[in-house]
Amino acid sequence: MLIQQILLKILHTFQQERTVSAAYHLLKGKRSGQTIHDVGLFNLYSYFGLLPKLARHKFDEQIDLMFAKSIIIIEENGFYTMTEQGKQLASKPVRLSFDGWHYRGNEHLFFGRLSLIIQSLSHQLHQKKAFIPIEKNEQVQQWVRQFLVRHQYQKGMLQQAIYSEMSASLSESAIEENMKDILMYRLTGYNEPGFTWQQLAFGYNMQEMDVQLHYISALHTWLNELYREKTQYPLLNEIMQNIRVEVVLTASANATAQLYRTGRTLEEISHIRRLKMSTIEDHIVELAMNEPNFSIEPFVSNKEQQQILGAVEAYDTKRLKTLKELLPQLSYFQLRLTLAKGATHI
Amino acid sequence: MNLQSALKQHFGYDAFRPGQEEIIKNIVAGRDVVAILPTGMGKSLCYQLPGYLFQKPVLIVSPLLSLMQDQVDQLKQMGEKRVVALNSFLTPDQKRYALHFLEEYRFIFVSPEMLLQPQVKARIQAMELSLIVADEAHCISQWGFDFRPDYLRIGEILPESNRPPILALSATATDTVLADIQSYLKMNEPFHYMHAVNRDNIHLVKKLFSEREEKIEWIIEHVKNTAGPGIIYTQSRSKAEAISLQLLQQNISAAAYHAGKEPQDRQFIQQQFLAGQLEWIVATNAFGMGVHKENVRQVIHETMPATLSNYMQEIGRAGRDGKKAVAFLLYCDGDEQFAKFIASEDLPKNIHVDRFTEVMAAGEQPQSLLANGEMSEVVFRVLSYWLARESAEEVKNRMLNLQIKKFEEVQLVLKLIEGAECMRKQVVQYFGQQLTKPQENCCSNCGIDVSELVEERDPSKTMIKMTNWQHRLKKILLINS
Repeated sequence: MLIQQILLKILHTFQQERTVSAAYHLLKGKRSGQTIHDVGLFNLYSYFGLLPKLARHKFDEQIDLMFAKSIIIIEENGFYTMTEQGKQLASKPVRLSFDGWHYRGNEHLFFGRLSLIIQSLSHQLHQKKAFIPIEKNEQVQQWVRQFLVRHQYQKGMLQQAIYSEMSASLSESAIEENMKDILMYRLTGYNEPGFTWQQLAFGYNMQEMDVQLHYISALHTWLNELYREKTQYPLLNEIMQNIRVEVVLTASANATAQLYRTGRTLEEISHIRRLKMSTIEDHIVELAMNEPNFSIEPFVSNKEQQQILGAVEAYDTKRLKTLKELLPQLSYFQLRLTLAKGATHI
Repeated sequence: MNLQSALKQHFGYDAFRPGQEEIIKNIVAGRDVVAILPTGMGKSLCYQLPGYLFQKPVLIVSPLLSLMQDQVDQLKQMGEKRVVALNSFLTPDQKRYALHFLEEYRFIFVSPEMLLQPQVKARIQAMELSLIVADEAHCISQWGFDFRPDYLRIGEILPESNRPPILALSATATDTVLADIQSYLKMNEPFHYMHAVNRDNIHLVKKLFSEREEKIEWIIEHVKNTAGPGIIYTQSRSKAEAISLQLLQQNISAAAYHAGKEPQDRQFIQQQFLAGQLEWIVATNAFGMGVHKENVRQVIHETMPATLSNYMQEIGRAGRDGKKAVAFLLYCDGDEQFAKFIASEDLPKNIHVDRFTEVMAAGEQPQSLLANGEMSEVVFRVLSYWLARESAEEVKNRMLNLQIKKFEEVQLVLKLIEGAECMRKQVVQYFGQQLTKPQENCCSNCGIDVSELVEERDPSKTMIKMTNWQHRLKKILLINS
């Protein structure tokens, strides 16, 4: 099953330095410092917030299953070790690509809006004014109503315009053809009800959860295509309003970043913002993790970076405590910065 | 006031369905009404039409959220904008807005829980209403199968004098339930309308098996060879999934339906069923409300329902078009034990009563029992209500009586299977009515020839084939066929 493959990948990437709960928080998209830190440190951007509604007991079921299959061994404190079999399985690539970091479950909101727009336009095409809306959320209904009015749907031209954008963008997207079928069969039209997960799962001989993961992957890929070619797909980009998560820095880190860019030292920033030095350092680490062009040279020399990365490799660990013991002359701040930066290069 | 022309004007119908006109006439005359009408027989029109005759809002108390949503959707679909649903789904902002403009609405739906909130209660008591409707009124009765303590307290908000008429609506109510409804609602010599319980176009069949697996085998064979559309009722989600999967493997278009499905999936299933794309639905009792399909030909109960009321309500979804339909009740030794378990599952047990009183005596908040999972929401709700009014011993006794009563209900269903008396007669008598004349092909106990009642399945009617995405998109958005 796909979900197990994904879990295995996450657990393997954590190099047994986290508890299984960390994998759960990652999939749920928990916005705690630790989870966000892990995302960068282990380069797990694609899986962050992949399943925001994942119930703990469903997650535990999968973990238990992997335990029963001797893929992992759970220790009492919640940590785990991977068996040889598990390591072997984890080395296989996950065939699907995700972009959890940028969408975090918002892809469902996008599809909800799109579904209701398509349903409305399909009914309008058949001169049906009244129908039971497929989307019950009143905010989504309100949003769609405004969208339709703004684009003068009464003229009956919007159908063709949306069709063209959808058809062109899906053709351009690197999504398997049958996964595009799944996307379109989750839509509803006049006299054309959508298909349930059970029906799709049966049709493609897959588990329901796997169909759902394929669907999410297809949505992420499609949304990224739409984002890349903004000007080509103006209507769909409008439906994408507030779907993509662009502000990756916390507000406070952003404030620190702005001061840093004007040439202030960390001490000065700490003084100006009346924040502890350690907090400012946290912000700098966050910055390093999220900005590919951010240089950490002012804080860790190139030689020191090589030392740290060398130790990571030689001892196969990213555990800060271990690294500090190996390189006592370097500060935790330097270690974290280098790991954060290193992660973005992998 | 000419009701006929009002009906035509607001709903476009030429004639009332049985009972509707009498009920509405009495309401208009200011009289309380108790109306027992099966689902699908135009229950909601009985308060919808008065909504257009009066100048003041109609208040509809509805205990089942899904049903409330369905009725709101229905009204909105008809183009009615002055309708609001006050329930726990509202955000604080939406609620404030709705309460502020409450007089402006024509139809106000409210859940019993919401109605008892001081703010809502005060607001409603202060305004003038034209009619108060208690929907699913059997829930008001402690003997009803969906006991809702908050619904019992609906009487608290009703003004003693000078109040608008009350309309109590239910699809199912026995004599004891009726008596409860009238007393809790403090109704004043209400007019009674009882629709005939008997549905003579639905033929009743029972099938006995010695092994559980044989039931499933029979269902698969039967569904393979006879024509739908049909509904199979089971008692668990996993069974609904398993049976539907087996049907799919036989190339029969079937789908599982239960409360664990995403709302979107539930809508897809209902729409497919209505559009005739789906032959069979395998459901728990979560399925049925709000589904208005006329041509259901078969209902199969994979195992026995907990009460005759449930049985009638579920088989009543067949043959709404008046054409013949068949209801199959399958039984295997020991099924009644399972039905009893299901029926009493939600009842508070002695241990719950003890824990509740312990916590209260210790001066702690009983809510903690709910939070830590020691009791279900239903158990908590029932105990909070009764322990505020009676001693622990009395409550225990009350619960024991309820359990006995529920077991008796199961026994009555069992009698359909074990007894030799006409099945139809047993059901009709349960509702305090009599059969007027014997009928042909009545039931398994009177003698029945099923082959005359079900048609052969057309095997070409298999699942709809999926086409490619471009074709699908074009069909939805561009082709006006």
